[in-house]
Amino acid sequence: MVDLKNKIRALRSSFDEGLAQAGDKDSLKELRNTYLSRKKGRITLLLKELKNVSPTERPEVGKQVNEFKNYVAQKLEEYSKTLEEPRHIKFDMDLTLPGKRRYRGAPHPILLYKKRIEQIFLLMGFSIEDGPEIETDYYNFEALNFPPHHPARDDWDTLYLSDDLLLRTHTSPVQIRVMEKKKPPIRMINPGKVYRRETPDPTHIPMFYQVEGLVVDLGITFAHLKGTLECFLKALYNEKIKIRFRPSYFPFTEPSAEVDIGCTVCRGEDRQCRVCGGSGWIEILGAGMVDPQVLKNVNIDPEKYSGFAFGMGIDRTAMFSFRIPDLRNFYENDLRFIRQFS
Amino acid sequence: MQISLNWLKEFLDIRLFPKELVEKMNSIGLLVDHWEEKDGDVVLELETYANRPDTLGHLGVARELAASLGIPLKDRKFPLVESSENISDVFDVQVLEEDLCPRYSGMIVKDIEVGPSPSWLVDRIKAMGLSPVNNVVDITNYILFSTAQPIHAFDLNKLRGNKIIVRTARNGEELKVLGGEDVVLSQSMLVIADENTPVALAGIIGGEDTAVTEETKDVFIESACFDPISIRKTWKEIGIQTDASYRFERGTDISFPPEAASMTASLLTQIGGKALKGMIDIYPRPRKMKTVILRHHRVSELLGVDVDEGFIVDFLKRMEFRLEKQREGTWRVQVPYFRVDIEREADIIEEIARFYGYDKIPSHIPVLQGINLEVNKRKEIEDKVRDLLFHEGFDEVVNYSFMDTEQEKLFKTGLDAVEIRNPVSLKASLLRTTLIGGLLGNIAWNVNRGTEGVHVFETGNVFFKKDEKYFERYTLGFATTGQLGPVFWKREPEKSDFFHLKGTCEELMRYLKFEDFSFTVEENPFFEQNYSLCLNFKGEKIGFLGGLKRSIVNTYSIQEQVWAAEINLGSLLKKQPKPFKYSPVSRYPGIIRDISFIAGRGISYQEIKDCIEKLMIPYLEDYVLYDRFWGKEMAKDKVSLSFRFIFRHPERTLLAEEADGFQEKIIKALNTEFGLNLRGGGQD
Repeated sequence: MVDLKNKIRALRSSFDEGLAQAGDKDSLKELRNTYLSRKKGRITLLLKELKNVSPTERPEVGKQVNEFKNYVAQKLEEYSKTLEEPRHIKFDMDLTLPGKRRYRGAPHPILLYKKRIEQIFLLMGFSIEDGPEIETDYYNFEALNFPPHHPARDDWDTLYLSDDLLLRTHTSPVQIRVMEKKKPPIRMINPGKVYRRETPDPTHIPMFYQVEGLVVDLGITFAHLKGTLECFLKALYNEKIKIRFRPSYFPFTEPSAEVDIGCTVCRGEDRQCRVCGGSGWIEILGAGMVDPQVLKNVNIDPEKYSGFAFGMGIDRTAMFSFRIPDLRNFYENDLRFIRQFS
Repeated sequence: MQISLNWLKEFLDIRLFPKELVEKMNSIGLLVDHWEEKDGDVVLELETYANRPDTLGHLGVARELAASLGIPLKDRKFPLVESSENISDVFDVQVLEEDLCPRYSGMIVKDIEVGPSPSWLVDRIKAMGLSPVNNVVDITNYILFSTAQPIHAFDLNKLRGNKIIVRTARNGEELKVLGGEDVVLSQSMLVIADENTPVALAGIIGGEDTAVTEETKDVFIESACFDPISIRKTWKEIGIQTDASYRFERGTDISFPPEAASMTASLLTQIGGKALKGMIDIYPRPRKMKTVILRHHRVSELLGVDVDEGFIVDFLKRMEFRLEKQREGTWRVQVPYFRVDIEREADIIEEIARFYGYDKIPSHIPVLQGINLEVNKRKEIEDKVRDLLFHEGFDEVVNYSFMDTEQEKLFKTGLDAVEIRNPVSLKASLLRTTLIGGLLGNIAWNVNRGTEGVHVFETGNVFFKKDEKYFERYTLGFATTGQLGPVFWKREPEKSDFFHLKGTCEELMRYLKFEDFSFTVEENPFFEQNYSLCLNFKGEKIGFLGGLKRSIVNTYSIQEQVWAAEINLGSLLKKQPKPFKYSPVSRYPGIIRDISFIAGRGISYQEIKDCIEKLMIPYLEDYVLYDRFWGKEMAKDKVSLSFRFIFRHPERTLLAEEADGFQEKIIKALNTEFGLNLRGGGQD
């Protein structure tokens, strides 16, 4: 019995040796015959010897023989595969051919820019509000402290639909709509389309986008207006942009300010600069502390609450940012133009 | 308004370089658009604000600079050469409309020789971008641009009855104004009349017949204050705006007409005239200075910086405000007459801020108080729609919201278009009732410029009228034509078709979580016959899609077929998207059955789909149509449809016999309902 076990061990090492030396299909076939031939194969002979083993030990030894048989068969199989397959596959595709691409549509540059502005204000904890494009005279003018026959109305060339209805000339009516609906604290922006009675030329168009902002709370000051807008403009442009606040006039803010950024094209050094007109500054935002009369118009006590508001032309800002010379480019919708913003 | 540096120097000793001056002016809100050196002068183009008529003259600008630079205004003398005659003996003024003309001052200068202006005056007039006319007219203009007080000079001898009556016009009265135009007057208009007829439209323009000419010897100088609203209404009605009306409608300094009259008279005597003694000054209800209470603590509460009391007091006094301390930290402030804009505490605080310097106010970020963080639903849907359409290869466009009557006729939307009363052009006289017009314009533009395939979308409002009310509807429109996607060398490029459009609609509705949508075949005036669908959600029509009519596409000179869709996003915004609910993924294998049917061509896919769904097969996880063909060896009126059905049990392995049963049920139902047979031996 021990003999048989030893025999298996000996046969295994001689098989391994034979396999290691087998270099081609023929020697492999020979090796197979030597061990697995049905008549004289060494394992076949081993199986025949099993009948000499005592019945008590036979199952265990039988198992060992079978395992050895499987081992041999498997090894031969594996090795024959490696002999059959070529060791190196030759790829002959020209990999420099263009890849297969799917086209992803491109956003309109103004809406791309609008979204960028929205993202910044969302990060600053502002909500986004909506308002109608068809407005009443009350929301567009009167509630914003433009009396009916005030010359300030001339600064906003208006498209009228009826005596009382018009296409909003700015996004500021949304200030009124939001303050009527919500109590302070209010912190919102409203981006949207506005309309002016303008014949299109490189710097005027009858429809464009603005973004309005409003913050109303206890203790809001002009310093907050400055801080918030500086933070916004630095996020929109870059940390190093020059920012200037100067006094201005809007009927619905008091004090009012205009916000300029330093011209990044000429840096204030070219008196003929086409971007800033030689002043070194580009007007980018109108802003101010909400006029006490406007707060009264929406039943907010100006002695208790204060706020600031601002408005910015998205088209103009995008025009400057992307250095697009003509506002009308935005509304031609030439795909060769739009697809650059993909 | 143009400002001449030499002119400013008449009022103020300015020793700044132009660049420094411009910076100084900008910092106090006098915005210089641009400036140029011209004939030994510097001319600044000043942007003025509707609330600051005082800066519409050099004096006002000089006042601001004086306060800002801390230097005094020069004391200017306007000496008169007087005759012995008294004005009150020879002339009379009656003001019948005190509300519309609260002050009227007048002087008479006789024996003038009308002729060219002296060179200093010519320079001033030229600096304003005007051409000199004659010495009298140039002097009145000089006073206007100098002080912002409009002056009118009448030829005294052409005023009948030696009198001026300030009254409203009578119906039917006419006036030939300077330049020769006849203006028909109405009762709401304030006129300056002599004994008989109007001789000027008050505060706007003088009459031709009483104008100063080469022959004029004696003039009556009018220096008045008129009601801004009345002036504005009148010039708007007659359509004539002048330098005078521009100032009167914004408000003028009511204390100033006598001074302006005597400045004018002084200059006229310098060119040889003699002023009559005295002045007519009708000012029946003298106005008090406006008073405003200013609290020191409000300054810091509004500006966010502590402004020193000393600064406030000094500066306001320099600006000619009168201060009276009521108690600690509170003043009663009297506002100078020339500041028509200042009425409230906030207005004075703005003045303080302006001169304190916006740049010296610190920058703070407000402490955030909690607000309700509501998600903006419109923005949410807009973001998703854009995201999906970009993914589907559509480029985004923005068109103007206008259309013209031609487009309205072309697209029969059934919506009543909103008209613009005062459109810029006839091309933009209506508000758009559909986005598709704009999209077709975009396709034409781009195809003409050589773009192979154009796939564009827009989100925005369309507008309409209904029962006298105006509505705006938030809408998505998209259109597609030509080659789809980039060229690839391995195969012919795919072309856009109806199912590209429909697939985009389906994918959009799924992405927006409005999965219970359906399509119904419905004719639509936009589309070719049998080539349009209506998109429905929960029984409501929310959109349409199809192949645009050749007649419409031709109007835009587009050769290829265009497919377009419009979806009412406003209506979807009001609907509840399907709430998200996670369902566990089955761990058990599914059974796939591919079945091919032969169906009559008249049977629609939708009918088959409805039939399958009505069966409510329990473990039918999904099914797709993966092939459809006709012709070959089939009868002409037949079509082959191949479906793949996937059955799966969520909690155990589904048995083949169970799948067999479900499959039989489907085959039987389709056979009974539509006579569908299995193709060539049935299942694969």
